[in-house]
Amino acid sequence: MKEIHKKIRLINKILKTLIKDSFQYPHRLVIDTFTVIARCGVLLVLYWFVFKLNNGIINGTTFVFTAWSIFFYFSFSTLRLHEVSKWMMDDVRTGNIEMLFSKPISYLFYRMWWQIGMGLYSFFIVTILATIVLIFIVGLPQTMMIGIFIPTFVLTFVCAIILTLFLYSIVGLLAFWIEDINPVFWIVDKAVMILGGSYLPIALFPVFMYKIALYSPFGASKFITHTVYDSWQVDWYKLVGIQLLWIILLGLIVYFMFKKAQKKVSVNGG
Amino acid sequence: MDLNSIVVSNLTKKFSFSIRNSSLSWFKNLFFPKLKEIVAVNDISFSVKHGERIAFIGPNGAGKSTTIKMLTGILFPTSGNVNILGFDPTKDRKKLAYQIGTVFGQRSQLLPNLPLTDSFEFFGVMYDMPEKEIKIRIAELVEIFDLGSFITQPVRKLSLGQRMRAEVAVSLIHKPKIILLDEPTIGLDVVAKKSLRDLLLKINKEENTTIFLTSHDVGDIESLCDRTIIINHGVLIKDLPTEDLAKTFVYEKYIDLIAMNNFDKFPSLPEGISYLSKDKNKITVAVDVNKINIQESIKKLLNLFIVEDIDVYNADLETIIRHIYERDS
Repeated sequence: MKEIHKKIRLINKILKTLIKDSFQYPHRLVIDTFTVIARCGVLLVLYWFVFKLNNGIINGTTFVFTAWSIFFYFSFSTLRLHEVSKWMMDDVRTGNIEMLFSKPISYLFYRMWWQIGMGLYSFFIVTILATIVLIFIVGLPQTMMIGIFIPTFVLTFVCAIILTLFLYSIVGLLAFWIEDINPVFWIVDKAVMILGGSYLPIALFPVFMYKIALYSPFGASKFITHTVYDSWQVDWYKLVGIQLLWIILLGLIVYFMFKKAQKKVSVNGG
Repeated sequence: MDLNSIVVSNLTKKFSFSIRNSSLSWFKNLFFPKLKEIVAVNDISFSVKHGERIAFIGPNGAGKSTTIKMLTGILFPTSGNVNILGFDPTKDRKKLAYQIGTVFGQRSQLLPNLPLTDSFEFFGVMYDMPEKEIKIRIAELVEIFDLGSFITQPVRKLSLGQRMRAEVAVSLIHKPKIILLDEPTIGLDVVAKKSLRDLLLKINKEENTTIFLTSHDVGDIESLCDRTIIINHGVLIKDLPTEDLAKTFVYEKYIDLIAMNNFDKFPSLPEGISYLSKDKNKITVAVDVNKINIQESIKKLLNLFIVEDIDVYNADLETIIRHIYERDS
């Protein structure tokens, strides 16, 4: 119990410190806002046009679903959880890992919460503002107004955070063996981007691609993009179940990789 | 009661890495690489008592930092044992971390964008200290380390001297029993160095904190450490009180000869005397007093050179340490 209290206190401190840190750099918020506008906004305009050309319906879905699905993807990406692997690589390359290894903390626990804290401020501000704008421009789909939506959305969102952190931590931990993880990071990041439904909404996926998105950890880490569709009300438990299975599997991989990685530590000047 | 803070027995660390063999194909190089092994620390043993101030020195690549990192649990030894305050760093790294403080001179643990107080509070929570205790300790450290004038400034705006003082102060937030410092005075000016050394001495006296530091700066060793351990090529070559270190090369004296006019010839010297530097205005020679005494050497030198002034002196600590390194290599 004492250990849990200690961890909660540290998490609280990390998050508060990083939110305070974010205030020191208001331009980061501006950059994040522009990134969402530039990437998500442009896509939405393009899809609005494409849907219009097809009389408002493609593959049985309408623009309003597509817009929210894509928005959820980009809103989630403002948390920048994927950067956990780059931080890990930097820790290994620069030798900064020795600073963290000499503290009474679990390195992975600390790095993951640090990553959450880094993006929290931008995430909340950008998401709240963009949600209001989106409600005004495209409106809310019916599926987001039923009772089951919010609890299941929160559940899959939390699972997505854990799964994303585990997935990218595996990439980051590779730095203990290969130092430069950039090529692996690029492949994993693009897989998540494509199968997560960033540029092509999952409702427009061909069947085989939808199945890959459904059963791979890359797609599963972005199941929040599925929550706006009708099928979510029927399939949510299956999708959350898939996420949980991946969390267990990737969690075990992270655990064993880290056990091995600890013994691989090599820092310049020792 | 155990008097030792640190006990190191037969500690060895080997690093192995793959090297590219140009005569092999890329496939063989990738999957069956040739491995090269380096012994960074080779079978060293020593112990440190509570409250001691140890200088752990050696030339670059001697194995100092590797040893410190094994003491803190950052690196795993290949063989041998480390016991710090009853903990095995490989098994009890987190428990041990509550008892020790670390300062790595080339890295910063402070939060760069926030005022120094945030770093203190952050690490206080990390070390699971109650809020009230954190505040009291911050006040103590601010007073001891004289941080008051810049405690509210963002860390990135501090000078290097201020930052290093802050680094040491932050590493003491949880009142560690041992502080391990890896080149803490690197890059500091003479005033900042002295100030940091004085503060470390104060902490050692007031809180009985064991100090274990690596440094290339002789001043750190002379003014701070009561015992010096020298390591080279991963092997412990000397472990003695710092004051005895100065006597290590007591058989060697140095003589400076200042020219009356200019020295235009540099004849060969008698046995036991050798040139260290030859200049038109000044010659420095080393005298091995086991072979020739000082009186005799001065007589012989005065027969060889016309001098305006002469100065006889012992080797300083830096020279002694250099000699030890050179002799060992």
